[in-house]
Amino acid sequence: MKFNKPVGRVIFAVILGLISSVAHGDWLSELEHLPVQDAGRIKPFDTFAKEATQLVYGKRKFNNSSSAEVVFTWMVTPELWSSAPIVEVRHSGVKEALNLEKTQRYFSMNELMTNPKLPLIFGELQNRRERQEKLNPYFQAVQRIENQLGLLQVLARGEAPGFAPPAEGSTWLTLKHLPPELQEKFVILAKSFLAAIGDKGTAEGKAKLETELKDFKAAVTAHGQGIAPDILTKVSWEVHYNEFHPFLWSWVSYLLGLLFMVAYMVRGHAWQNNGGWVFIFIGFLLHTYGMALRIYLAGRPPVSNMYETVVWVPWGVVLFGFILERIQKSKLVLISAAAIATFCLILTDLAPAVLDPSLHPLEPVLRSTFWLTTHVLIITISYAAFFLAFALGDLLLFYFLKDEEKYAKQIHIGAQSIYRCLQIGVVLLAAGIILGGIWADYSWGRFWGWDPKETWALIALLGYLAVLHARLTGWVRSFGMAVTSVLGFSLVIMAWYGVNFVLGAGLHSYGFGAGGVEYVTGFVVLHILYVTYVTTVRYGRKKRA
Amino acid sequence: MKHISKKLFSVLTSIKLAVIVILALAVLSAIGTIYEARYDAEYAQKLIYQSPYMYGVMIVLSLTLIAVMVDRWPWKKRHAAFVLAHIGIIITLIGAVFTQKMGVDGSMAFRIGETKNRVTIKDRDLAVYGSFGDGEVRPLLQKQVEFVTHPPTEKDPYVLPFGSEKIEFVEYQHLAFREEKIIASDREADGPAVRFQLTNPNVNMTEWIRRESGKSSEVVNLGPASVVLSDGSYQPQEGVNEVILVPVPKTDEIRYMVYDKSNLLKTRGKVKESQEFDVGWMGLKLKVLRYHPKSYKQVTYQKAEGSSPLAHSALRFRFRGQEYWIGIGSLIRLYTEDSMYVLAYVFRQIDVGFPLILKDFQIGHYQGTKRAASYQSLVETPDGKEVVISMNEPLKYGGFTFYQSSFEQDEMGKPKVSVLSVNHDPGRWLKYFGSFLIVLGSILLFYFKKALARPRKT
Repeated sequence: MKFNKPVGRVIFAVILGLISSVAHGDWLSELEHLPVQDAGRIKPFDTFAKEATQLVYGKRKFNNSSSAEVVFTWMVTPELWSSAPIVEVRHSGVKEALNLEKTQRYFSMNELMTNPKLPLIFGELQNRRERQEKLNPYFQAVQRIENQLGLLQVLARGEAPGFAPPAEGSTWLTLKHLPPELQEKFVILAKSFLAAIGDKGTAEGKAKLETELKDFKAAVTAHGQGIAPDILTKVSWEVHYNEFHPFLWSWVSYLLGLLFMVAYMVRGHAWQNNGGWVFIFIGFLLHTYGMALRIYLAGRPPVSNMYETVVWVPWGVVLFGFILERIQKSKLVLISAAAIATFCLILTDLAPAVLDPSLHPLEPVLRSTFWLTTHVLIITISYAAFFLAFALGDLLLFYFLKDEEKYAKQIHIGAQSIYRCLQIGVVLLAAGIILGGIWADYSWGRFWGWDPKETWALIALLGYLAVLHARLTGWVRSFGMAVTSVLGFSLVIMAWYGVNFVLGAGLHSYGFGAGGVEYVTGFVVLHILYVTYVTTVRYGRKKRA
Repeated sequence: MKHISKKLFSVLTSIKLAVIVILALAVLSAIGTIYEARYDAEYAQKLIYQSPYMYGVMIVLSLTLIAVMVDRWPWKKRHAAFVLAHIGIIITLIGAVFTQKMGVDGSMAFRIGETKNRVTIKDRDLAVYGSFGDGEVRPLLQKQVEFVTHPPTEKDPYVLPFGSEKIEFVEYQHLAFREEKIIASDREADGPAVRFQLTNPNVNMTEWIRRESGKSSEVVNLGPASVVLSDGSYQPQEGVNEVILVPVPKTDEIRYMVYDKSNLLKTRGKVKESQEFDVGWMGLKLKVLRYHPKSYKQVTYQKAEGSSPLAHSALRFRFRGQEYWIGIGSLIRLYTEDSMYVLAYVFRQIDVGFPLILKDFQIGHYQGTKRAASYQSLVETPDGKEVVISMNEPLKYGGFTFYQSSFEQDEMGKPKVSVLSVNHDPGRWLKYFGSFLIVLGSILLFYFKKALARPRKT
């Protein structure tokens, strides 16, 4: 990491030294469990802090320190941070517009606030907003800077998050508006905090901080309307969800299972098969546990944004994998399923900026959970079936490339499995689209409105229907099944990701996002090249034969 | 002849044709979504989804579906899945045609307390009204227009004749931003306009103020002060700092008077174009940048590059050699020596046959935020009942269904207008029934694996 100003560098080093020298004690856990109100819901301070560092710094951790600790210092000693390079700016166009060093990724708040060009680009952003135009990636990046600086200022002024429930209404009181007795408690707490995290911090100091945090929490819990016990329980579970990180352990387990399964394919020892089964099953249990936690915390099915579907779809893939493995007696299915699950869950860990893991409240129209549940769950689970077919297709193409004759048995079973997957997918997708129509009719009075999201789901359905019909005429056989299942998945990617992130139009705007377009395009293009390559090689062989 | 029909039948029953039709549908739909992202839903619908190509593909699809089923006659038990799914598709398509041809899909916007019985639908009308010196305005003609598929151009204008006059439409923009310009004129009926700049070390504001000749004064409120363009009859208000500008007739001078909050005259004098004077508070100076004793407002439209809720469609037309722009939902006055015409370019409104009254509108927020969590309208139906319409809880009345669709707020964030979407869909149950058959059929496919395999005729 490069620091621009010597002063900033020194202060930054001191603060980092301070924080990392602290042995994390129970006081930290107390701080993390503190309930706060932010962005329309009650969450633990831990989550608030993770979202804050995600926005400002681009990570859910701050180097090796807990976000809660760092964000707390943003609140109580903002002056120490004002010249530290903590504000992430990634968009090169924005850096150019602000005359910032291109190779640098982090900038200090002072540096940005005194930048003479900043008011100009904020003004342009405002113009776009007034014209209600869609923001392009450049302006999304400008908007992020606005949010980053805004958050740091609001924190410094004590205007967020809400710390205590009010006597009336639903807006919690922020530090600035706390009653004197709570404010006093907070000041004492902040002093103890600064004393405890320093070099001079002693065990007694930390114990004192812990007591004061407990005391503050008790006072806040009893303030105004009070905080209900079940909300406190939920808050603790959310800290657990953050800390335990079930999806991380889940993909680790899937990956192990996958390795065992591959070993079994090569070597064929029974224990390898069993090991594969056990790890994939453990991965599935952890996956299920993580989703159950998320459903409990959000109070709704986990399919309201891209992150949640990228977690939910591989769950469906593994489920279909287990079922088809039983029916088809083929390890290929389970291997494909485990590979997809590992891939998707790693993706959710790698790209929090594109796949936002935060729990957000829903748009009004989505609050009729029953229809939301049925139509979105069914459509996304159909994607799972197509995803599995896609991975099987990839594997099969590999066999075709190696030796078509030698692996004839695997190819036959694989093609059968793909056919099954496509059938399941088509039935579910058709049902899901129709239920979506019913929901739209029920909410908007329009059964079918050619909205891009529904239209692309229909296009994907038509694509797979064409494949299934072409199979009847003999246009598509084993090789064709492999090719079409790989290519057909591009339609699903368009319906799933492309409509929200590339087209960005229509009524399903609540799922819109940005980022990752180059990677997704790359993924699709690579597969098209792969299919072309295998087809060419195979065609050449046939000609020679 | 028999030979040809036999051949045609065998083409229609071939699964190869089915594959081609399915792919054609997919490709057309995909193009449609690109149009929608680039422009808007209406544009995509008119140019793709309701285009002759789409209808053509749909007709071939229906013929194939029917032919294939006829071909399999007499049906066996194992044909159940495919027959059900295919009949389902045909019924759903018939339902869609009913909706398209006989349905109503529009919207109704109310202020709180307002009574409405008219629904605005997507069809567009051009209407002309005329007034011939007797003070009465009479409708002359009303015509439905479709410019998305047939946009007028300079070479191929759309001509609207009425009486001895005609209007020539020469350009259509589907999405455009409205822009206003103030232009000097010499017509007696036009009012004055002033472009002024208010400056001090912290403030720099430039504004136009224009008064219609029929109005005695026009006020522009700039926060700490108001600027008034008056014919001299304006009385200063208490509680506001005011600069009153009164053009002196037949000269290029403007008289000015500055009053403070307690209505004390601070300063007065005369000013010309490109001169300035001290206002007397906050170190502000007012400079007259432009002064037109007679002026009119010219509205033009600029093509929008992307879609935006503020962009809407607009037409450029010529009337008696003069060019004008008119935006959807607006009207424009056109003068000749002895008569006045009004041209209106509007969405068609239809009467639902009964009035609805919006009694109240409420927004629920997520805790501690301004994000709407829910919103609902309280309406009174003609039978005197009060009904709540909320998201996902529509009102069914008189053959129409009213859905809570959106709302508009004023600057203070208070709800101002509630928008209901209004719908009458005679094809609904056909579509539901067809959909049900499709799902049933595709589930049955799992039971009858070989249902689609045609028994080879020997």
